[in-house]
Amino acid sequence: MHKFGRDVFLILVPVVAAFALLPSVYSNQLLLFNFIIFIVLAQGVNVIYGFTGYLPFGYVGFFGAGAYGFSLMVLHLQAPPFLAIVVGASAALALALVLTPLFRLSGAYFSIANLAAALAVLQIVANPNLEDYTRGPYGISLSGVFNPRLAYAAALAVLAATLFIVIFLRHSKFGLALQAIREDTISAGMAGINVVRERVIAWLLSALIAGLAGCVFAWYASVFYPETVFSGEFTIFAIVFALFGGTATVVGPILGVVILYGIYNAVGISTPQYFQLIYGALIVGLVLFLPNGLVSLLRRWGIDVP
Amino acid sequence: MFGKVRLGLSIALLVSIFGAAYAAEAPKEIKLGTLYASSGRFASISMPVHYGLKLWIEQKNAEGGVFVKAFNKKIPITLVAYDDQSNTATAATLFNQLITQDKVDLLVSDSGSVLTSVGVPIARDNKMFLFDQTGTGSAFFTPDNPYIALMSDPVSSVWPKPLADFITHDGKSLGIKRVAMLYSTNDFTGTQATAVRKFIKEAGTDVEFVYDQGIPTDTTNYAVLINNIRAANPDAVIHLGYAPNDIAFIHSLEDGGVNFKFLFCIYPGLETELLEKNLGVKPLNYIFTYVTSSEIEYEPNFGMKLKEYKELWNKKYAGGNVEFGFNSVAGYNTGLVIEKALSVAESLEQLEIRKAVFSLSGKLKTLDGTFELDANGAQLGMSTPIGQISVDDHGHIKFVTVWPHDVANGKPVYPRP
Amino acid sequence: MLTYTLLAGLLFGLYFTLIGLGLNLVFGVMRIVNLAHGDFLMLGAFLAFWLFSLFAINPIPTIPVAFIVFLLVGFPLYYLIVPRLLRAKDPEMLSFILFFGLSQVIQALATILWGTSERSIPGGQLGRAVAAILSFITGRTVENGPVDIFGQSFPAAWVASGIASGIGVLLVYWYLYRTKLGYLTRAVMVSRDEAIASGIDVDRISAIAFGFGLGLAAVAGVFAPFLLGSITPAMGAEVTITSFAVIVIGSLGNPLGTLLGGLVYGISYMFMQSYYSSWANLLPYLLLIAVLLLRPSGLLGRQTRRA
Repeated sequence: MHKFGRDVFLILVPVVAAFALLPSVYSNQLLLFNFIIFIVLAQGVNVIYGFTGYLPFGYVGFFGAGAYGFSLMVLHLQAPPFLAIVVGASAALALALVLTPLFRLSGAYFSIANLAAALAVLQIVANPNLEDYTRGPYGISLSGVFNPRLAYAAALAVLAATLFIVIFLRHSKFGLALQAIREDTISAGMAGINVVRERVIAWLLSALIAGLAGCVFAWYASVFYPETVFSGEFTIFAIVFALFGGTATVVGPILGVVILYGIYNAVGISTPQYFQLIYGALIVGLVLFLPNGLVSLLRRWGIDVP
Repeated sequence: MFGKVRLGLSIALLVSIFGAAYAAEAPKEIKLGTLYASSGRFASISMPVHYGLKLWIEQKNAEGGVFVKAFNKKIPITLVAYDDQSNTATAATLFNQLITQDKVDLLVSDSGSVLTSVGVPIARDNKMFLFDQTGTGSAFFTPDNPYIALMSDPVSSVWPKPLADFITHDGKSLGIKRVAMLYSTNDFTGTQATAVRKFIKEAGTDVEFVYDQGIPTDTTNYAVLINNIRAANPDAVIHLGYAPNDIAFIHSLEDGGVNFKFLFCIYPGLETELLEKNLGVKPLNYIFTYVTSSEIEYEPNFGMKLKEYKELWNKKYAGGNVEFGFNSVAGYNTGLVIEKALSVAESLEQLEIRKAVFSLSGKLKTLDGTFELDANGAQLGMSTPIGQISVDDHGHIKFVTVWPHDVANGKPVYPRP
Repeated sequence: MLTYTLLAGLLFGLYFTLIGLGLNLVFGVMRIVNLAHGDFLMLGAFLAFWLFSLFAINPIPTIPVAFIVFLLVGFPLYYLIVPRLLRAKDPEMLSFILFFGLSQVIQALATILWGTSERSIPGGQLGRAVAAILSFITGRTVENGPVDIFGQSFPAAWVASGIASGIGVLLVYWYLYRTKLGYLTRAVMVSRDEAIASGIDVDRISAIAFGFGLGLAAVAGVFAPFLLGSITPAMGAEVTITSFAVIVIGSLGNPLGTLLGGLVYGISYMFMQSYYSSWANLLPYLLLIAVLLLRPSGLLGRQTRRA
């Protein structure tokens, strides 16, 4: 239990504090905001993949559900942002519940089905017949609640909550149970773990994280098209960052985001044409030579990574 | 006597101090920040616009800079441009970067409504005036946001008026009563479809829609849709989609041997070279489309004429992957508006720049057309007449303008042979 | 209207089958999720485009060329990538990421080389070949143009791709069920470990299958400029998703399953376009999920044991 406290002090507090203080020295707040979003999303992938072994290739579905839940509350009911966030997060949770039958599928099938589900949600939301409800393909424009500073603060809160959840998973019996499920479902079941229930909880947690991220994103951006918040890029980046850093750890995804997303922005600004090429090659290299992430490298050198 | 000298000296001293301070204020360069998409779905409309803007900048810098009235001298322009790869989240971060890190003096958007949309709240929040090049989404221009104006295209809700007018006025004598409309559901073409519908209904004639369907923007398969349109027996068919949609649609007509009496598509006019490359000239013959400024020799009262601009463009970009078309003119037009605005603006303060831009409304005529803004910054001018494509004996495409009558130079061929 | 929609669905469904054939082979044999499938299709399409615009080579002879070229590309590519991948803890998942990276690399190279503009090939090119074939079969001179089927006229390109697809299915079926190599391939499909234990050179079999898979993708690509309106370097992503839907709906491993999957997909898509056009793009995803949940081994039933 004291490891839990240690991690909170050594990881959660510095990271959140850093992002809270950076805007005063670095004025591109939007970039910092994006870093936060990706750390949160990578941790969300971490929860479901690192801890249970299911790869959510349609992870962005929850992100978009959160974004739209938030936006529709504001658009139709003029709800205050914090209430809208609650509703948005619930929308993501609801979607996750609807998708739980997918767990009957294994491995790649699950991932493909999850991807199809996210794309289906996009098609539904963006459909012009639903224009009166979701503004269809014409996009959302939230002018009333535009408040980047407050939205940034909310993002910080979401970041703290997410890191808290992951630290909890890392050091709790629940987290251990999840990892057991990932390693060998049958043995875990025989050891008395309620496989189905634990997995569903992890799934819901992961969806909640993405949903919250979606809400604050919608709040911050305030203008977006459906393709923006259901873009496969969020999923891909989150997965790649998490894998690069190393899953089933707290630090891995953070490292992954800071390094890879940092490179993305640096390279993207200086040599854009070759950017996609470099990024793609990096991903290929990563999977071939460092499939367990950066932390596996650290572990090889004897460092115990939280 | 000493008093007078002292007074004179003081005045001279004061004047020289102010004069020095005034001269020291003039910046060494005008930073112009913009975005472009070198890859992804918007690259084909973004790169020509960007190149057009660059051409204007190079031209000005070759003359020693752009004339800035606020400092009464020519100041060279430094371009700060980032690639957003057609990604809206990246575009948003980059807009922010331009404003907060690079501290640009002039902010110019990327091309198209989608990539411009993310910049609108950012520009507003940072109190930077956004030169919206071709983002025609009507939602951008609201009374509570003074930090935007549309440069080179008419706003989507107004753009198709000439088409609707042509159908309801001239269409009657041609026998057009049954209209079929197929449109891609996105902010650009969807809004145009809504506008067409509205204008035709408002005209109150007996023109009726026998087919009116919206399809996803990434549709590439039109066979069944075309068959259904044919079954409705329309006198006129309007297809509103992006370039890939137009290409696939016209391809499908060719391959299926289908001929409609009247067909209107957007991109044969907006990206003629691209469509010609993909389809050849024969399938484009007799199609009605928007006749853009890259096809009409407008008489500008400022800036180059079309012919000269095209020559300059071809000299610089010949043989490249970027086609000359309407979008290349749009980019250059943005430059012209900026140039004229800077020549009348009292300072480089953003709201002052805005005032200068709005002051050009109704007065500025460029190779793109007449510049006219409404109170919220939406472009009402730069309108595109309706024309019909006609292929001459050498296989070259010409546009026969048929509406409005004051610019028409020919009669429409109907039905399509 | 109904007849047209149905026939269009059948014809176009055959093209979807062609698209899915290669992916089916790769997924069935190696359990590798080739997310770059659509990008190889794109490469095949550009091969056909460049051969046509630079050397005026008709797409029909390009088909075997595309197949062989990508067969030769796939074989060594397999050895470069897959054995390493299979040694990792979670190869199926990691293959997702890996091939995604590969897909990005291919897209980036294509964009750098050829730019982003749309390209196409005039439909008449395929029309000539179809007209020749039909003239030969029916003994009458058939003109280059739309083909008449049951009184409904369809683009010649659709007929050509339908024929090619049929041939493709037969070839794959013949390979898997009538050749020794195919027999071994099916063994690997059922259980890789047992195949290794039986002394089968699993890597070689898989590499050949991978090469075939890419070759088939490229062949489907040759038809893409005609059936998908136009081609761009970024077209791969959408195609990949569609191919997955097709092979999942059918069943894994069996080419006849892909045939069925393609037809089901094609017909439903055309019907959606006719009656609920704005929802047409929702269909593949719903079908995919429905099949996975209700009948996970596909409409044709279990052909491979799941890992």
